[in-house]
Amino acid sequence: MDNGADETTELEGVEIREYEGEDLSSIDEFIENSIKGPQYVDISEYRLRITGLVENPQSYTYDEVIGGHQNYKKVVTLDCVEGWSVKILWEGVLVKDLLLEAVPLPDAKVVIFHAHDGYTTSLPLDYIVDNDILMAYKMNGVTIPPERGFPFELVAESKWGYKWIKWVTEIELSDDENYRGYWESGGYSNSGDLDKSFFEYY
Amino acid sequence: MSWLRLSKSIIHWLLAAVIVFLIITGLGITEHRIVGDLSFGLLNKALAHKIHTMPALWISLLALLLLHIFLPFIGRKKN
Repeated sequence: MDNGADETTELEGVEIREYEGEDLSSIDEFIENSIKGPQYVDISEYRLRITGLVENPQSYTYDEVIGGHQNYKKVVTLDCVEGWSVKILWEGVLVKDLLLEAVPLPDAKVVIFHAHDGYTTSLPLDYIVDNDILMAYKMNGVTIPPERGFPFELVAESKWGYKWIKWVTEIELSDDENYRGYWESGGYSNSGDLDKSFFEYY
Repeated sequence: MSWLRLSKSIIHWLLAAVIVFLIITGLGITEHRIVGDLSFGLLNKALAHKIHTMPALWISLLALLLLHIFLPFIGRKKN
Protein backbone atom coordinates (compact mmCIF):
# COMPACT_ATOMS: atom_id res chain seq x y z
CA MET A 1 0.00 0.00 0.00
CA ASP A 2 1.38 3.40 -0.96
CA ASN A 3 0.54 5.88 1.75
CA GLY A 4 2.94 8.51 0.42
CA ALA A 5 5.32 8.03 3.32
CA ASP A 6 8.31 8.08 1.00
CA GLU A 7 7.46 11.50 -0.35
CA THR A 8 8.64 14.69 1.28
CA THR A 9 6.52 17.79 1.08
CA GLU A 10 8.47 21.01 1.47
CA LEU A 11 6.77 23.43 3.82
CA GLU A 12 7.35 27.17 3.70
CA GLY A 13 9.94 28.21 6.24
CA VAL A 14 9.94 31.02 8.73
CA GLU A 15 11.61 34.20 7.59
CA ILE A 16 15.22 34.64 8.60
CA ARG A 17 16.22 37.82 10.45
CA GLU A 18 20.00 37.58 10.27
CA TYR A 19 22.23 36.76 7.32
CA GLU A 20 26.02 36.52 7.36
CA GLY A 21 26.25 38.72 10.43
CA GLU A 22 23.78 41.32 9.17
CA ASP A 23 20.51 41.98 10.97
CA LEU A 24 17.53 41.99 8.61
CA SER A 25 14.23 43.78 8.82
CA SER A 26 11.01 41.77 8.99
CA ILE A 27 8.82 41.47 5.92
CA ASP A 28 6.04 42.80 8.16
CA GLU A 29 7.86 46.13 8.40
CA PHE A 30 6.87 47.14 4.87
CA ILE A 31 4.10 49.72 4.63
CA GLU A 32 1.50 48.86 2.01
CA ASN A 33 1.36 51.82 -0.34
CA SER A 34 0.57 50.39 -3.75
CA ILE A 35 -1.79 52.15 -6.15
CA LYS A 36 -4.67 49.64 -5.93
CA GLY A 37 -3.92 47.58 -2.84
CA PRO A 38 -2.49 44.06 -2.66
CA GLN A 39 -2.83 41.98 -5.84
CA TYR A 40 -3.62 38.27 -5.68
CA VAL A 41 -2.11 36.77 -8.84
CA ASP A 42 -3.43 33.39 -10.00
CA ILE A 43 -0.13 31.57 -10.53
CA SER A 44 -1.69 28.92 -12.79
CA GLU A 45 -2.61 31.67 -15.24
CA TYR A 46 0.47 33.78 -14.66
CA ARG A 47 2.90 34.54 -17.47
CA LEU A 48 5.92 36.85 -17.41
CA ARG A 49 6.22 38.37 -20.87
CA ILE A 50 9.33 39.97 -22.38
CA THR A 51 8.19 42.28 -25.16
CA GLY A 52 9.08 45.37 -27.17
CA LEU A 53 12.40 45.83 -28.92
CA VAL A 54 13.58 42.24 -28.73
CA GLU A 55 14.32 39.63 -31.37
CA ASN A 56 12.57 36.80 -29.56
CA PRO A 57 9.64 37.85 -27.35
CA GLN A 58 9.29 35.48 -24.42
CA SER A 59 6.52 34.22 -22.20
CA TYR A 60 7.46 32.34 -19.04
CA THR A 61 5.48 30.56 -16.36
CA TYR A 62 6.42 31.21 -12.73
CA ASP A 63 8.31 27.91 -12.55
CA GLU A 64 10.14 28.57 -15.80
CA VAL A 65 11.44 31.88 -14.50
CA ILE A 66 12.77 30.37 -11.28
CA GLY A 67 13.75 26.89 -12.47
CA GLY A 68 15.15 27.89 -15.82
CA HIS A 69 17.61 30.50 -14.64
CA GLN A 70 20.49 30.86 -12.22
CA ASN A 71 19.25 32.03 -8.82
CA TYR A 72 21.03 34.70 -6.80
CA LYS A 73 20.62 36.23 -3.38
CA LYS A 74 21.80 39.45 -1.79
CA VAL A 75 20.94 41.82 1.02
CA VAL A 76 19.60 45.13 -0.23
CA THR A 77 17.85 47.97 1.60
CA LEU A 78 14.68 49.45 0.18
CA ASP A 79 14.28 53.18 0.95
CA CYS A 80 10.79 54.59 0.50
CA VAL A 81 10.15 58.26 -0.25
CA GLU A 82 7.76 58.20 2.74
CA GLY A 83 10.77 57.94 5.02
CA TRP A 84 10.85 54.29 6.06
CA SER A 85 13.34 51.64 4.95
CA VAL A 86 13.77 47.86 5.21
CA LYS A 87 16.88 45.71 4.86
CA ILE A 88 15.94 42.40 3.28
CA LEU A 89 17.67 39.28 1.92
CA TRP A 90 16.37 39.01 -1.62
CA GLU A 91 16.48 35.86 -3.73
CA GLY A 92 15.70 35.85 -7.40
CA VAL A 93 16.91 35.80 -10.97
CA LEU A 94 18.86 38.43 -12.85
CA VAL A 95 16.72 40.55 -15.14
CA LYS A 96 19.57 40.62 -17.64
CA ASP A 97 19.45 36.81 -17.91
CA LEU A 98 15.81 37.06 -18.98
CA LEU A 99 16.59 39.88 -21.40
CA LEU A 100 19.49 37.99 -22.97
CA GLU A 101 17.15 35.16 -23.93
CA ALA A 102 14.86 37.65 -25.65
CA VAL A 103 17.87 39.31 -27.35
CA PRO A 104 17.44 43.09 -27.12
CA LEU A 105 17.60 45.00 -30.39
CA PRO A 106 20.31 47.68 -30.74
CA ASP A 107 17.75 50.48 -30.37
CA ALA A 108 16.60 49.25 -26.95
CA LYS A 109 17.65 51.75 -24.30
CA VAL A 110 14.96 51.60 -21.63
CA VAL A 111 13.34 48.74 -19.74
CA ILE A 112 9.69 49.37 -18.88
CA PHE A 113 8.21 47.15 -16.17
CA HIS A 114 4.47 46.53 -16.02
CA ALA A 115 2.61 45.22 -12.98
CA HIS A 116 -0.62 43.31 -12.47
CA ASP A 117 -2.34 46.39 -11.04
CA GLY A 118 -1.44 48.65 -13.97
CA TYR A 119 1.55 50.24 -12.25
CA THR A 120 4.57 50.90 -14.45
CA THR A 121 8.10 52.15 -13.99
CA SER A 122 11.20 52.29 -16.16
CA LEU A 123 14.95 52.00 -15.79
CA PRO A 124 17.82 52.34 -18.25
CA LEU A 125 18.90 49.06 -19.86
CA ASP A 126 22.53 49.79 -18.94
CA TYR A 127 21.58 50.14 -15.26
CA ILE A 128 19.83 46.75 -15.32
CA VAL A 129 22.78 45.01 -16.98
CA ASP A 130 25.67 46.74 -15.22
CA ASN A 131 24.25 46.36 -11.70
CA ASP A 132 23.02 42.75 -11.88
CA ILE A 133 19.52 43.80 -10.95
CA LEU A 134 17.41 41.04 -9.41
CA MET A 135 13.79 40.19 -9.88
CA ALA A 136 13.04 38.55 -6.56
CA TYR A 137 10.65 35.72 -5.70
CA LYS A 138 11.78 35.31 -2.09
CA MET A 139 12.46 37.76 0.73
CA ASN A 140 14.20 36.67 3.94
CA GLY A 141 14.02 33.08 2.74
CA VAL A 142 10.27 32.87 2.24
CA THR A 143 8.22 33.24 -0.92
CA ILE A 144 7.18 36.85 -1.39
CA PRO A 145 3.64 37.13 -0.02
CA PRO A 146 0.86 38.62 -2.20
CA GLU A 147 0.86 41.81 -0.11
CA ARG A 148 4.55 42.34 -0.91
CA GLY A 149 4.48 41.59 -4.64
CA PHE A 150 4.05 37.88 -5.36
CA PRO A 151 5.14 36.48 -7.75
CA PHE A 152 8.00 38.91 -8.46
CA GLU A 153 9.33 42.18 -7.12
CA LEU A 154 12.13 44.15 -8.74
CA VAL A 155 15.12 44.80 -6.48
CA ALA A 156 16.06 48.19 -7.86
CA GLU A 157 19.03 48.79 -5.59
CA SER A 158 20.29 52.35 -5.26
CA LYS A 159 16.89 53.60 -6.43
CA TRP A 160 13.96 55.02 -4.46
CA GLY A 161 11.22 52.58 -3.51
CA TYR A 162 8.80 53.57 -6.28
CA LYS A 163 11.21 51.92 -8.74
CA TRP A 164 10.85 48.60 -6.88
CA ILE A 165 7.83 47.47 -8.85
CA LYS A 166 5.78 44.60 -7.41
CA TRP A 167 3.56 41.99 -9.12
CA VAL A 168 5.67 42.19 -12.31
CA THR A 169 3.87 40.76 -15.35
CA GLU A 170 5.71 42.25 -18.31
CA ILE A 171 9.18 43.55 -19.13
CA GLU A 172 9.14 45.74 -22.21
CA LEU A 173 12.20 47.06 -24.00
CA SER A 174 11.86 50.48 -25.54
CA ASP A 175 13.82 53.25 -27.22
CA ASP A 176 11.76 55.95 -25.48
CA GLU A 177 14.24 57.49 -23.05
CA ASN A 178 11.62 60.01 -21.97
CA TYR A 179 9.15 57.34 -20.87
CA ARG A 180 7.76 58.05 -17.41
CA GLY A 181 6.09 55.46 -15.23
CA TYR A 182 3.08 55.86 -12.94
CA TRP A 183 4.55 57.97 -10.13
CA GLU A 184 7.19 59.53 -12.36
CA SER A 185 4.34 60.99 -14.45
CA GLY A 186 2.96 62.43 -11.22
CA GLY A 187 6.17 64.31 -10.45
CA TYR A 188 8.69 61.93 -8.92
CA SER A 189 12.17 61.86 -10.44
CA ASN A 190 12.51 59.64 -13.50
CA SER A 191 15.99 58.48 -12.56
CA GLY A 192 14.90 57.61 -9.02
CA ASP A 193 18.50 57.75 -7.85
CA LEU A 194 18.77 57.25 -4.12
CA ASP A 195 21.59 59.78 -3.77
CA LYS A 196 19.42 62.53 -5.28
CA SER A 197 16.11 64.08 -4.38
CA PHE A 198 13.03 62.18 -5.48
CA PHE A 199 11.79 65.49 -6.93
CA GLU A 200 13.57 66.77 -9.99
CA TYR A 201 13.16 70.47 -9.27
CA TYR A 202 14.98 70.49 -5.92
CA MET B 1 -7.35 99.18 17.72
CA SER B 2 -9.61 97.49 15.19
CA TRP B 3 -6.64 96.92 12.84
CA LEU B 4 -5.07 94.73 15.49
CA ARG B 5 -8.26 92.73 15.95
CA LEU B 6 -8.50 92.31 12.17
CA SER B 7 -4.85 91.21 11.93
CA LYS B 8 -5.35 88.64 14.69
CA SER B 9 -8.41 87.29 12.97
CA ILE B 10 -6.63 87.00 9.61
CA ILE B 11 -3.64 85.29 11.22
CA HIS B 12 -5.86 82.83 13.08
CA TRP B 13 -7.69 81.83 9.91
CA LEU B 14 -4.50 81.66 7.82
CA LEU B 15 -2.87 79.48 10.47
CA ALA B 16 -5.86 77.17 10.53
CA ALA B 17 -5.82 76.96 6.73
CA VAL B 18 -2.10 76.13 6.61
CA ILE B 19 -2.50 73.43 9.29
CA VAL B 20 -5.44 71.85 7.45
CA PHE B 21 -3.50 72.05 4.19
CA LEU B 22 -0.50 70.30 5.75
CA ILE B 23 -2.72 67.57 7.21
CA ILE B 24 -4.45 66.98 3.86
CA THR B 25 -1.19 66.86 1.91
CA GLY B 26 0.35 64.60 4.57
CA LEU B 27 -2.59 62.23 4.25
CA GLY B 28 -2.14 62.55 0.48
CA ILE B 29 1.22 60.81 0.94
CA THR B 30 0.38 58.12 3.46
CA GLU B 31 -3.26 57.52 2.45
CA HIS B 32 -2.89 58.38 -1.21
CA ARG B 33 -5.58 56.01 -2.47
CA ILE B 34 -8.28 57.61 -0.28
CA VAL B 35 -7.18 61.21 -0.82
CA GLY B 36 -6.72 60.62 -4.54
CA ASP B 37 -10.27 59.27 -4.84
CA LEU B 38 -11.80 62.04 -2.70
CA SER B 39 -10.04 64.71 -4.78
CA PHE B 40 -11.04 62.99 -8.03
CA GLY B 41 -7.39 62.33 -8.77
CA LEU B 42 -6.35 65.98 -8.48
CA LEU B 43 -4.19 65.45 -5.39
CA ASN B 44 -2.04 62.42 -6.18
CA LYS B 45 0.76 61.19 -3.95
CA ALA B 46 3.56 62.89 -5.88
CA LEU B 47 1.80 66.27 -5.92
CA ALA B 48 0.87 65.97 -2.23
CA HIS B 49 4.48 65.12 -1.43
CA LYS B 50 5.76 68.11 -3.41
CA ILE B 51 3.40 70.52 -1.67
CA HIS B 52 3.89 68.99 1.77
CA THR B 53 7.67 69.36 1.60
CA MET B 54 7.70 72.94 0.25
CA PRO B 55 9.94 75.01 2.55
CA ALA B 56 7.71 78.06 1.97
CA LEU B 57 4.76 76.22 3.53
CA TRP B 58 6.67 75.33 6.69
CA ILE B 59 8.17 78.81 6.98
CA SER B 60 4.65 80.23 6.66
CA LEU B 61 3.45 77.89 9.41
CA LEU B 62 6.26 78.97 11.71
CA ALA B 63 5.73 82.68 11.01
CA LEU B 64 1.97 82.45 11.51
CA LEU B 65 2.40 80.41 14.67
CA LEU B 66 4.78 82.99 16.16
CA LEU B 67 2.43 85.82 15.26
CA HIS B 68 -0.48 83.84 16.71
CA ILE B 69 1.41 83.44 19.99
CA PHE B 70 2.82 86.93 20.36
CA LEU B 71 0.26 89.20 18.73
CA PRO B 72 -2.20 89.00 21.66
CA PHE B 73 0.44 90.63 23.89
CA ILE B 74 0.51 93.73 21.68
CA GLY B 75 -1.91 96.35 22.78
CA ARG B 76 -2.82 94.53 25.97
CA LYS B 77 -3.81 97.07 28.64
CA LYS B 78 -1.97 96.98 31.94
CA ASN B 79 -4.11 96.89 35.04
